[in-house]
Amino acid sequence: MGNRMRKLMWTTALALSLTPVMALAQAGDLAIVFADDSTSDVTFDPRVTQSRHEEQVIAQVFDQLVSADADNKKYPGLAKSWTMAPDNKSVVLQLRDDVTFHDGTKFDAEAVKFTFDTIVDPATGSQGAIDMIGPYEGSDILGPYEIRIRYKRPFPTAIDSFSENELSIVSPTAVKKLGGTGFAQAPVGTGPFKFVSWEKNKQIVLERNPDYKWGAPFYSTQGPSKVARIIHRFIPNAATRVAALESGEVHYTDLTPPLDMRRLGDSSKYDTMTGVASGVPFSLMFNVSRGPLQDIKVRQAFMYAVDRSRLSQNLFFGYAKAAWGPIAPSTPAYWKGVEEYYKFSRETAGKLLEEAGWKMGSGGIREKDGQPLQIYYPTLLEPETSVALQADLKRVGIDLKVENVTKAKQDELIINNQYDVGGIRWVYNDPSVLRIPFDSGNIPEPGKFKFNWMRWKSPELDKVLAAASTAASLEERTKLYADAQKMIMDAAVFMPIHDQIQTIASSKKVVGARFAPGNWQVRLYDVRPAN
Amino acid sequence: MRYALRRVLGVIPILFVTWTIVFGVMQLIPGDPVNLMLAGVPASQEVRENERRRLGLDRPFLERYVTFLGRAVRGDLGESYRSRQPVTRMISEQAGSTLELAAGGLVVGLGAGLLLGMVAGLKPNTWIDTLCMLVALAGVSLPSFWIGMMLIYVFGMTLAWVPIVGSGLAALVLPSITVGLFIAGGFARLVRSSIIDAMGQDYIRTARAKGLGWAKIAFKHALRNAMIPPVTLLGIQIAVLVGGAVVTENVFARPGLGTMLVEAVLNKDLPLVQALVVYTTAAYVLVNLLVDLLYGLIDPRVQVGRA
Repeated sequence: MGNRMRKLMWTTALALSLTPVMALAQAGDLAIVFADDSTSDVTFDPRVTQSRHEEQVIAQVFDQLVSADADNKKYPGLAKSWTMAPDNKSVVLQLRDDVTFHDGTKFDAEAVKFTFDTIVDPATGSQGAIDMIGPYEGSDILGPYEIRIRYKRPFPTAIDSFSENELSIVSPTAVKKLGGTGFAQAPVGTGPFKFVSWEKNKQIVLERNPDYKWGAPFYSTQGPSKVARIIHRFIPNAATRVAALESGEVHYTDLTPPLDMRRLGDSSKYDTMTGVASGVPFSLMFNVSRGPLQDIKVRQAFMYAVDRSRLSQNLFFGYAKAAWGPIAPSTPAYWKGVEEYYKFSRETAGKLLEEAGWKMGSGGIREKDGQPLQIYYPTLLEPETSVALQADLKRVGIDLKVENVTKAKQDELIINNQYDVGGIRWVYNDPSVLRIPFDSGNIPEPGKFKFNWMRWKSPELDKVLAAASTAASLEERTKLYADAQKMIMDAAVFMPIHDQIQTIASSKKVVGARFAPGNWQVRLYDVRPAN
Repeated sequence: MRYALRRVLGVIPILFVTWTIVFGVMQLIPGDPVNLMLAGVPASQEVRENERRRLGLDRPFLERYVTFLGRAVRGDLGESYRSRQPVTRMISEQAGSTLELAAGGLVVGLGAGLLLGMVAGLKPNTWIDTLCMLVALAGVSLPSFWIGMMLIYVFGMTLAWVPIVGSGLAALVLPSITVGLFIAGGFARLVRSSIIDAMGQDYIRTARAKGLGWAKIAFKHALRNAMIPPVTLLGIQIAVLVGGAVVTENVFARPGLGTMLVEAVLNKDLPLVQALVVYTTAAYVLVNLLVDLLYGLIDPRVQVGRA
């Protein structure tokens, strides 16, 4: 290659590659790029969202009445203090008087009432907050910075609910001015970062709120963030996310593949952090209304037959651990007793199947009355896990029929009761989530999609879960949820497989990111240069 | 001009038929838009009923169809089920990025395709020909996610010449090469065969006999006459690109209409799918019209609209 040619190529390449670098340098201050695996974000209105990806942005722009750290410990947030009524049917909150929204609106009791009243208004179209706000009845403004929140029934976890992203306080002025859909596109909160712009399916730009001085005490930053700008970049392809991290274009990647986590963690240039998400682990629900899984012995055998610890190790390289109960260990009211259930034993599995009358047939698949032991699992999530399950089950003579399906197809099969097993996982910060899959009233029926895919009716469990949701004290609540977890495990209708994990890799140039409660979203307020 | 107008008006029945088909197919394929929108989150029945009413899904099929047609006639294609934004605005926001990539891919595809095809066609059955056609074959057959990842690895990470996911012209380079190589492959093969064909014609012999230079023969006489089949192919490929390049968009984290359409279909976001059908139909008709008009420029003997 000629000298002139080479020179030309270098100059062109340099000129091309300098454009974005200069844009960053001109900011003069720390700008960080967070790479998120989603592209389907549609709303940043905390009252409306149901998406863990949208909440990643919401967590930077909004504050909550009560602030919780990753360990779920509660601290004063927009409320300085609170007093729960003895009957757990109302809370009085003293609010901060020194907080303003990004649009200059003063934060006060009116804003709290507005936020909560609009959540329960069907016109808002709330998809998440409405299920978290509890039996909300109304709010009484007791003074400019004092408010009473009332509930129709006792709601002992009201304080926990106030710390959820979905119950963040929104600027009433902005909502009225922009309308619901306008606000969803240009959210206004009181948080450490202001919304600047959103290029759909590409990126969201946030900038530091220079007036921010009401951060929770657990942060090492007090006052405005050290980060001047956050570029929240959507990169749905995992390999591209990692490549962009390694080329220095992004500082953080979420949902980093476990194999890359290990490699990046071993290098001197990157940090990794793993969050065990609270909520329901990746699990299977056994349809007890048809086929061989009607027999509890077959269900128990199914669970004994799978080596969940080895499966998690093989698929996630130790980043996700095997799960043993219907809620993850990081969820409040987790009952440790679940860890004693259905530990891997091929022998026990075989014995149970023999007792149930399933005898080993030709080709290694068990049979009863001439029927092979086939179990149909339409797979939407984690096809690789299905294959691992299939291999373990085959060794005890169970033929797991795996078919990869779209979400639409899965829903159709579930509604029409044409499946034996369904796979789910939910990020959720409270054990009350158990009612959604386990309540007898939630069995899917034609035209009504619901989540009791086990099609299992247990009036006793219904009673316990209903009592837990209105328990007058936290001790009683914890006790009732422990009972519920035990009943679920005894019935062998639900097979937890592995924890859901959020795997974050980051450049060593920055430090200070921390998980929000629930261990999924990452709070970037505390981020600062490493030295 | 009258010809162009007739072609554009011809879009209307096409749209009517495609809309009806899309509307029907979207009813037939399984899945409930509300469930798909909630993406499997544990939302209560109350949330579901609210959404169903809001989207008008509680009303009968025929009523929804008539309402939809009535609105469409007035130019209102409705709001997306998921984002609650007007679909026309959503499409116009994404169209820029798609057109950028289509243009970038076209430049690369046309440049590389023309070069490879010409060289191969002028030196048929030599090792140069074989090499050019090998490259063309690779362009058509290698999957774009693989080409994309390789380009990222070599030029984005190892050499760090261009950004992988940044903004601006520099970030357009690798995605343009990824889609451009595919276009170049098919284009080069057609250019080659057309050139070989043209070089055997009488007028080339005449040109040679007149003592014209090599370049003048190749470019002015052979190439121009050889362009009609490749231009037709190019037209189809551009029309496809204008509809979005899903895989390339995914690898390079680019917004675009391809991704948008796939998501809209998977979510059964009917208004958005219908609007995208309008857009792509219009794009196809427009590109085809341009190609037809180009024939006249390339070869004045072809006169469109006058049968």
